[in-house]
Amino acid sequence: MSTLGQLRRVRVVGVGLHPYQRPSDTPYTRLGVHAIRAALADAGLEWKQIQAAYTGTATTSMGMSRLMYRHLGATGIPMTQVENASASGSSAFRQACIEVAAGLVDVAIAVGVDKPLNVTMPQRAAGLRDLADGRVVPFTHFALLASRYMHDHGTTPEQIAAVAVKNSRNGALNPNAQRRKPRTLREVLAPPHISGALTRLQCCPVGEGAAAVIVASDEAINRLGLDSDRSVTVLSSVARSEAVYDGENFDAALTRETTAQALDEASVTAADLDVVELHDAFTVEELLYIEAMGLCKPGQAAPLLQAGEFDIGGRVAVSASGGLLAMGHPIGPTGVGQIVEITTQLRGEAKERQHPRARTALAHMVGVGAVCVVHILRKE
Amino acid sequence: MRIAAHPGLYDVEADPPTLSGTTCMRCGRVYFPPMAIGCEACGASEAQLRPTPLAARGTIHALAQVHLHHGRPPAPFTIAEIQLDAGPLIRATLARDEEDPQITDSVSAIWIVTGTGDDGNEIVEPAFTTAPPATETADEAARNGGNS
Repeated sequence: MSTLGQLRRVRVVGVGLHPYQRPSDTPYTRLGVHAIRAALADAGLEWKQIQAAYTGTATTSMGMSRLMYRHLGATGIPMTQVENASASGSSAFRQACIEVAAGLVDVAIAVGVDKPLNVTMPQRAAGLRDLADGRVVPFTHFALLASRYMHDHGTTPEQIAAVAVKNSRNGALNPNAQRRKPRTLREVLAPPHISGALTRLQCCPVGEGAAAVIVASDEAINRLGLDSDRSVTVLSSVARSEAVYDGENFDAALTRETTAQALDEASVTAADLDVVELHDAFTVEELLYIEAMGLCKPGQAAPLLQAGEFDIGGRVAVSASGGLLAMGHPIGPTGVGQIVEITTQLRGEAKERQHPRARTALAHMVGVGAVCVVHILRKE
Repeated sequence: MRIAAHPGLYDVEADPPTLSGTTCMRCGRVYFPPMAIGCEACGASEAQLRPTPLAARGTIHALAQVHLHHGRPPAPFTIAEIQLDAGPLIRATLARDEEDPQITDSVSAIWIVTGTGDDGNEIVEPAFTTAPPATETADEAARNGGNS
């Protein structure tokens, strides 16, 4: 067995986005091609130099890749859809990294693209029934979690809502974000109430969009004359699935295990992280995952967030893009979009959103099922 | 005759409601909702999975009043995670007239009627309440008294 870091070095050489937005009549093909062209231009590559494509998608259609990529010129390269619920894009990026690291290709692209056309839940397909059948959708799953978190740590609803205040402030600086308005605590706490402590602005918008990331080997960077100074190294790539956790919340346990392994494989500690993009689909998740990642002690995330430690310019910038709460969560694109954000931060090209001296960054997604995918990148 | 709103999840003839759980005979893990096909904890085959009636009684672990819901029942209603005395952490609906339930409260299930079948029989499901069920046996009343 090898870790990604023990194989051939993989570097991100190009990133691109189509802004995340409310569902529209624009076909996914146009969303995706926009992001891919942006990534190609960023890398200084032509489509014919891409040797493999992985498409992170969960809600659009089976067999969707080629109908999109053909608009760049059909080159006959392998293309594969990667579905892993909310972690689909992260998993597509992981597959692209693995293929380059293994030496099968020199240049690969991961594209996340989705429209909420065909949203399905696996429990239904599995024929599973529950006393709360159909009554516990994701926002109630996380509202339950919020109630327990508040009970365990004495956290207030206002402290949980403060996550959305911070992330809306970041999202307002992100031209690709779906929600671009900075929100006050009063606005975040205002109705409509959705479930438990969660109000509308504490739940991420699920819309549409696209994100693209091109990865390459050192050999390809040299051979193709790419700008090595703007490249960012993928230090580790780890994916895990839920095990049986007695007495521990599974969302937190899965993130704790996956992040610990990713940090270990990257030979860094949580204290080394400058920028973190995480699965803040609902406000309480950010607090829970900050603690599970080891960025602070259990129960300390809310007071430290209030103290500004997780702001851009703070100890570690968390959700500098605006996160899922403000940038949005179009599902397939989300995990790839996180890599776009941390690459941009590590290059020092994030403009008003730039976290100073960003050198090491982490991207984290969870997906129903449940799975977790974590990547750690560094500017060397 | 009562009709179960969720066939296979509870015994409609039991009073108070009894949940239809599963025990893995290999590793001892107890499941609700019932587990089929194979054991999540140890991978034992279906032959090792035995139906186990579970008392619908436990402690509130987490709570959420749902304000937005398309379909039945109409919002608002309250969902709880309940740590059953029998082991599993389950999700269920609290009885509608439940006032100010709190995490760590002891709860047990009562039958609520959600509709009427074609044959005129009541369609029922269990809902949890902090009040002891009126139909409990003397033995259970003594046990509940001991817990409070």
